[in-house]
Amino acid sequence: MGKVMLEVRNLKTKYVTRFHEDVYAVDGVSFTIEEGKSLGIAGESGCGKSTLALSMMGYYFPPLHYMSGDIIIDGRNISGLDPDVVRKSILGSEIAYIPQAAMNALNPTQKIIKFITDVLRAHDPKKDKKEIRDMAEARFAELGLPKETLEKHAVELSGGMKQRTVIAVSTILNPKVLIADEPSSALDVTSQKMVIKMMRELMEKGYIKSMLFITHELPLLYNVTDDIMVMYAGQIVEKGTAKEMVFDPVHPYSHGLMGSILVPEEGTRGQKLGAIPGAPPNLKKPPDGCRFAERCKYACPECRYASIPEKPFGEGRMYRCLKGVDELKEVYSGE
Amino acid sequence: MKGYRKYFGKKILWFVITLIVAVVLNFLLPRLMPVDPVAAITGKLAGQGATDASAVQRIYEHYMQEFGLDKPTYVQFWLFVKNAVRGNFGISFSQYPRPVSDIIGSAIVWTVALQLPAILVGWILGNLLGALAAYIKKGFDKVLLPVSLFLSNVPAFGMAVVMLVIFGVTLKIAPIAGGYAYDMIPHLSWDFIKSVISHYQLPFWSIVLVSIGGQAVGMRSMSIYELNADYVKYARFLGIKDSKIVGYVFRNAMLPQVTGLALSIGTMIGGALVAEIIFSYPGLGSTMYSAVTAADYPLISATTLIITIMVLLATFILDIIYGFIDPRVKAAQFE
Amino acid sequence: MKNTIRQVFHSPKFVAGFAIFVAILLVMFIYPLINPGNPLEQIGVGTFAKPGTYISLYDAAKTNTQTLRLPEAADNRIAARLSMDDRVEMINWFGTMNISVEGLDINDTDALIELWNQNYDPSARPEGMTSAKINYYKRLNNSIAELSASDTISIADYDEEGNLAVTKTISDTDYVNTKDVANVKTLPLGTDNFGRDVLKELVSATGTSIRIGLIAGIVATLIGLTFGLLAGYLGGVVDDIIMFVTNIFTVIPSFVLLILITYSLGQEQRGAAIVAIVIGLTSWTWTARSVRSQVISLRNRDHVNLSKLSGHSLIRIVVMDILPYIASYVVMAFILQVSSGILAEAQLSLLGLGPKTTQVPTLGLMMNWAMLYSAHTNGSWWAYFPVILVITLISFSLNLMNTGLDQVFNPTLRD
Repeated sequence: MGKVMLEVRNLKTKYVTRFHEDVYAVDGVSFTIEEGKSLGIAGESGCGKSTLALSMMGYYFPPLHYMSGDIIIDGRNISGLDPDVVRKSILGSEIAYIPQAAMNALNPTQKIIKFITDVLRAHDPKKDKKEIRDMAEARFAELGLPKETLEKHAVELSGGMKQRTVIAVSTILNPKVLIADEPSSALDVTSQKMVIKMMRELMEKGYIKSMLFITHELPLLYNVTDDIMVMYAGQIVEKGTAKEMVFDPVHPYSHGLMGSILVPEEGTRGQKLGAIPGAPPNLKKPPDGCRFAERCKYACPECRYASIPEKPFGEGRMYRCLKGVDELKEVYSGE
Repeated sequence: MKGYRKYFGKKILWFVITLIVAVVLNFLLPRLMPVDPVAAITGKLAGQGATDASAVQRIYEHYMQEFGLDKPTYVQFWLFVKNAVRGNFGISFSQYPRPVSDIIGSAIVWTVALQLPAILVGWILGNLLGALAAYIKKGFDKVLLPVSLFLSNVPAFGMAVVMLVIFGVTLKIAPIAGGYAYDMIPHLSWDFIKSVISHYQLPFWSIVLVSIGGQAVGMRSMSIYELNADYVKYARFLGIKDSKIVGYVFRNAMLPQVTGLALSIGTMIGGALVAEIIFSYPGLGSTMYSAVTAADYPLISATTLIITIMVLLATFILDIIYGFIDPRVKAAQFE
Repeated sequence: MKNTIRQVFHSPKFVAGFAIFVAILLVMFIYPLINPGNPLEQIGVGTFAKPGTYISLYDAAKTNTQTLRLPEAADNRIAARLSMDDRVEMINWFGTMNISVEGLDINDTDALIELWNQNYDPSARPEGMTSAKINYYKRLNNSIAELSASDTISIADYDEEGNLAVTKTISDTDYVNTKDVANVKTLPLGTDNFGRDVLKELVSATGTSIRIGLIAGIVATLIGLTFGLLAGYLGGVVDDIIMFVTNIFTVIPSFVLLILITYSLGQEQRGAAIVAIVIGLTSWTWTARSVRSQVISLRNRDHVNLSKLSGHSLIRIVVMDILPYIASYVVMAFILQVSSGILAEAQLSLLGLGPKTTQVPTLGLMMNWAMLYSAHTNGSWWAYFPVILVITLISFSLNLMNTGLDQVFNPTLRD
């Protein structure tokens, strides 16, 4: 077992709406990522996966609020640290982020090199221009990006170029953890491939030590990450290796998701999740029992009120369902 | 560079086209009307008995000859353009035999010296206030926004009258009429400059106050829009300081305000010209007013033409400046 | 639709603006019922009567009196007649005569007059004082003496033989009840330079100005909407031509066009309606632009394509499938045009190019008259300030409504 790079323990965060209602978007999430490993998070939109990504940065601004739990990066607990310390010594350098809408992630009226200068100086105000430029040029060259890009404004770059530039800038400080929130969803297939290739390269060259990859496109996860977690209504419902999760899902929700993906028909690649009828529960008042019970084909009355813990099984796998693993597998095989 | 050339070329072309249309309208509109302006005016002058009959006759003949009113319309237009290019706008009816160009020449200096700084200062102050309101938001915003909205709805002449009554008539801290003390002859002396400056205050600040409101409201919504942009979140997650990010935001919010100024400058100058009348400021507004009251047709025609050209020039210059400071313009030319 | 309206009325900005505007409209309709008559009737001779209640002196003199002994009556009388300028001059006198005024309050009439009576010497010739000034002080002293003396006023009338005979004396303790006086007129905002009741005139002018704004707004919206729809929906050459014209008229200041047109029309042709139409004719460009860009984004939506495939006519597609989607933008542009139309009329009138002056008052004309007769420099605030306030309030309320609508329809601005 490798060194643990990121450990999240029972993290809870909430949104406060304009009407001062609390929405419990991340409700007790725990997991670890080891050095050199990547973890994928899948789930329908609104399940809290993007919020989880934001929450893990340890840097909160309204309407997102921290409630409880720990985020430990390479042995250092960053939750509860002073925001200014987090900004200066964690963000960008320990944990970095690639946003969902990378198309608009760059300030349109600023040159890329100027932005890189701002990023580097935010962590080391004394860095001189020459040093910064050399560093940026070297990294861009290594990642196969033309060095002229540095002199351009974001508006002058194509969508794919913008995305690759964002990745290069995000990882310029060699962060230990990289969180990528649907980094390729808005791109065409070729650009998607480029982006995935680039992320792999970053891992292989050791610029980033671990990666969390969030997406709603399951096939992509299977190709990119080592492990996969499935998230539903603010909680993790199942976790396992990519292979296990795709070919042998246990939780009824994961089973439904994977089932909807693996139909061997033309044109299903990239099919969005959510082929399961019904809608997720309202997170302002999460239900007492299983959160999936309302939509679950196999739910029993007890599912609706019993509190359901995370249940470990197999080799480091985990699921969250009242029923036993064998019981579920038997039901699935009968279908 | 090619992008710029295309942009500037387009702008210059537009400037020329609008200028031509404006000149044509200026020439044509009065002539399209059912009443013959010259006959009506000379008739009115004679009726008023303000000018003796021979003077009216002289004016009429001079006018007919100078502008060839007995010739076909296209010949008249050609004469009109030729004369206008030479700066020859004929002889004023009301200040006979002073040439119109002379009257306008002295008025234009006052108008430009008053309005250009006033509109610029109002624009800058308004943007600062709007940015502040967007950034501070709670409380401050609640007070500033309604006040700015209210202020922006006070017509320029209303603000002028209120300022005149409060500071000129009641508090007696500034003179209320004219561009300099009425017993002075314009010359370069310390006393004269002092008089000019003290007469400058009320017209200046009333125009500034009116333009602040509108700019502040626009800047506030622009800034709020930019503060919610994706690049703000991304820059924060890379550890860049809030103060730096606020810089990005306000730069980006300010840029469209330049275009906003270009689009509203015509309306602003219109309002400010009327404010001039309230203070009997010796600029184009007051010239126009006295021309209208005295039915001085050549003077009205020339004043409107000059004002149009001023507005077109201001818009053109702002467009050019905008092209230089916003890289999005250059990028847009390649699309 | 119902839902949209409910949402709109949940916006505090819109509701505030709407309330102000409705209040103005209500006053406009109700006040003429209370105080009917021609708003341009010249009831006063002379210019700028102060706001207040006017009691007919003729009727009051013939009304039965009641004796009231009010302790402060004499003081009030003196205090009201001794002007601040006079008081300042009195202090100046004390200064020249080296008389200490320490602890003296300029508003304390009793103390001031006492000090004056003790110290004023008509024979004094202070050094450097002009004889005009010395005479002024003599007159001032006389009137102070007159003010202090408690005297009766005699009213004399001609008797049958044509001789003057005192018919009535009025003492300083005689009062009449205003209810007994036959003619009492309250002029809340005084009269203007022509002796017209300003409040009545203002209410009527507000009505006319709002009507001018509405006509201008309707004309501009109709033109802008037609051009915008044609350009956006048809595209191609039609779009190019319309946008070419629109762009030109966006840059050429409409203010200048207005001046040229209204001037050329001549005073006689310029009724309020004509001025309103001309304002509308010069301010349609914004509507055209925003309608066009909305229509372009709608043009290829599925429901529009479906209508096209179903062979519906152009008019039907525009009315059924496009107009409902751009209605909010059109309403917003219309509101702004009403407010800028009112402002445009006021500015034109100030330049002397407003509607002809004999028929109806407008806010701009009232402003123009007040300025022509120097109301602003002679202290007659009631002739111009209410006008500015009404213009500001109308335009403020319309803009608030517009901002409220904008926040409902463009949620990114919400906050």
